[in-house]
Amino acid sequence: MPVSTGRERAACSGRVDPDGTGRWTPERRISPRHIRRPSPWPPQGPALDGPTLAVDCLRPIRLQRLELTHFRNIERLDLTLDVPRLLVVGANGEGKSNLLEAVELLGSLRSHRTGSDRDLIRHGEPGAVLGCCTVAGDRLRLALRRQGGRQASRNGRTLERQQDLLGSLRCVGFSALDLDLVRGEPSLRRHWLDRVVLQLEPLYGELLSRYGRLLRQRSQLLRRGLGGAELAGLLDAFDQQMALVGTRLHRRRHRALRRLEPLAAAWQERLSGGLEQLRLHYSSGSELPGEEAEEPWRMALASQLAAQRPEELRLGQCGVGPHRDDVALLLGERPARRYGSAGQQRTLVLALKLAELELVGSVVGTPPLLLLDDVLAELDPTRQQLLLDAVGEGHQCLVSATHLEAFGGGWRRHCQVVRMQAGRVG
Amino acid sequence: MIEQFERLPGIGPRTAQRLALHLLRQPEEQTRSFAEALLAARSQVGHCRRCFHLSAEPLCEICRNPERANGQLCVVADSRDLLAMERTREYHGGYHVLGGLISPMDGVGPELLQIQSLVRRVAGQADPALPDSPTADPPTADSSIEEVILALTPSVEGDTTSLYLARLLRPFTRVSRIAYGLPMGSELEYADEVTLARALEGRRPVE
Repeated sequence: MPVSTGRERAACSGRVDPDGTGRWTPERRISPRHIRRPSPWPPQGPALDGPTLAVDCLRPIRLQRLELTHFRNIERLDLTLDVPRLLVVGANGEGKSNLLEAVELLGSLRSHRTGSDRDLIRHGEPGAVLGCCTVAGDRLRLALRRQGGRQASRNGRTLERQQDLLGSLRCVGFSALDLDLVRGEPSLRRHWLDRVVLQLEPLYGELLSRYGRLLRQRSQLLRRGLGGAELAGLLDAFDQQMALVGTRLHRRRHRALRRLEPLAAAWQERLSGGLEQLRLHYSSGSELPGEEAEEPWRMALASQLAAQRPEELRLGQCGVGPHRDDVALLLGERPARRYGSAGQQRTLVLALKLAELELVGSVVGTPPLLLLDDVLAELDPTRQQLLLDAVGEGHQCLVSATHLEAFGGGWRRHCQVVRMQAGRVG
Repeated sequence: MIEQFERLPGIGPRTAQRLALHLLRQPEEQTRSFAEALLAARSQVGHCRRCFHLSAEPLCEICRNPERANGQLCVVADSRDLLAMERTREYHGGYHVLGGLISPMDGVGPELLQIQSLVRRVAGQADPALPDSPTADPPTADSSIEEVILALTPSVEGDTTSLYLARLLRPFTRVSRIAYGLPMGSELEYADEVTLARALEGRRPVE
């Protein structure tokens, strides 16, 4: 049963109105039975009626106002969002992606485009400030400094850790770079899956960082060239911990993937007009026997760790465990990485992202924001239309595009269009 | 002087400046006795040759106290942890200070820690590092250790060290480790998920 937090309940029952504008007055008080469960699997009815983004009784608008200062090419921006669909239009290099990136940064504290805050700050400025108001009544603020270091605050209170900002504004993004999810290294698919699990299970982050540290310590140990008995004793100590933490990672990834698969398959089917069948296969880095269960899996992992040790000592790296996991993306039982066309791969990434949105939405109680950066390229007109029909229902969606033509009149009527020019909203 | 203070743990540039200016304003006599205390501590305080706690004597106060040889031995990473254990006043056994935790990333292997000496202590062997003079303790003084309590932080390094030590010590004695869970006086609802999950894992039947 999805759970909604007290704050969300308050927001939906109309008790919170951050701007005092009274702009939105929810229709009814929310109670758990009003939250629709995720769509059933297999989807009932014809393929096109398959999945819908659930939780529609919650107000789809999550982000109400966005304020940016000295962010990338944007000197100053103050944007109020009043309908669930925002379309940002502009030529190349005008700042469309920057706007979406700012929202991503507020939601996830990360940018998919850069790892360095310096790149995010407008040229010649000492820092950038990103701020937003959510419907839940939170005022979030993230300040970036050129010398490094960030400062996050919520409702005027500085947060001790910027991590505490997470969860107030969840978002799922798609951009051209995400195509690497299909085409790229297994680590990219692992990271995607990790991000999904992180949103579902807060403890997962601790398990991930613990496993990462175990792995780094272990590989350093192998490089130190210790004597036989000492090395064996220490590797035993590492094996014991890695078998336990590794099993937990395997189980959580396996579980999340099993929940994602029907959703992603239904989206793939819908976006391809019923032509493509998607399967997500968990290619785990250890051989896991039978059904998902902690003890048998832990024992299997422990014995595989012991068995690969001679090889590990020779190569200097550990050969089994969740760090070697992959997710095989199969279209009609053939790996999409090798056989999928550009358009099919793009559809597949979208299906994965929409499945993520739906799953997180159903678990957390509010659907995340969907950020689609220049998403229509490489899709044929039918797929473009199917995608546009699917987004912006029951969730808030921010879309960027170079021209308006692709968006049909019906779609445009229900959306707010802003034009970006040289970092300004026209 | 400001630079010297800045090298100390937990001291930033501003605190360093404040401390330096404060010392300059002190009467000369006071500054002198402060400096002497620093030098004296450096030259006199060494490590207890049995438990490796900081001590001005060859054997520390705890190791000299016959009442504390009660068959329990608590293994800690450094002297700060020992002092924390002592503040509880609930533990009346002996200690062994490792001098750190195993962390290959930081270049710390078992050979750099007081692990050999611990195993010898627990196994009841004579320590070749100790002078065999009449004033030295009989090397068998520790041979009656019935339980080793591992009190190391629950980090990757702490757990690795605990598991490694447990393997080495188990042939000689009972090995246990302290429980991890909720701090006393804290509210359950404010506990972070990691602590709570650990506490759940280490749950015990109600007696």
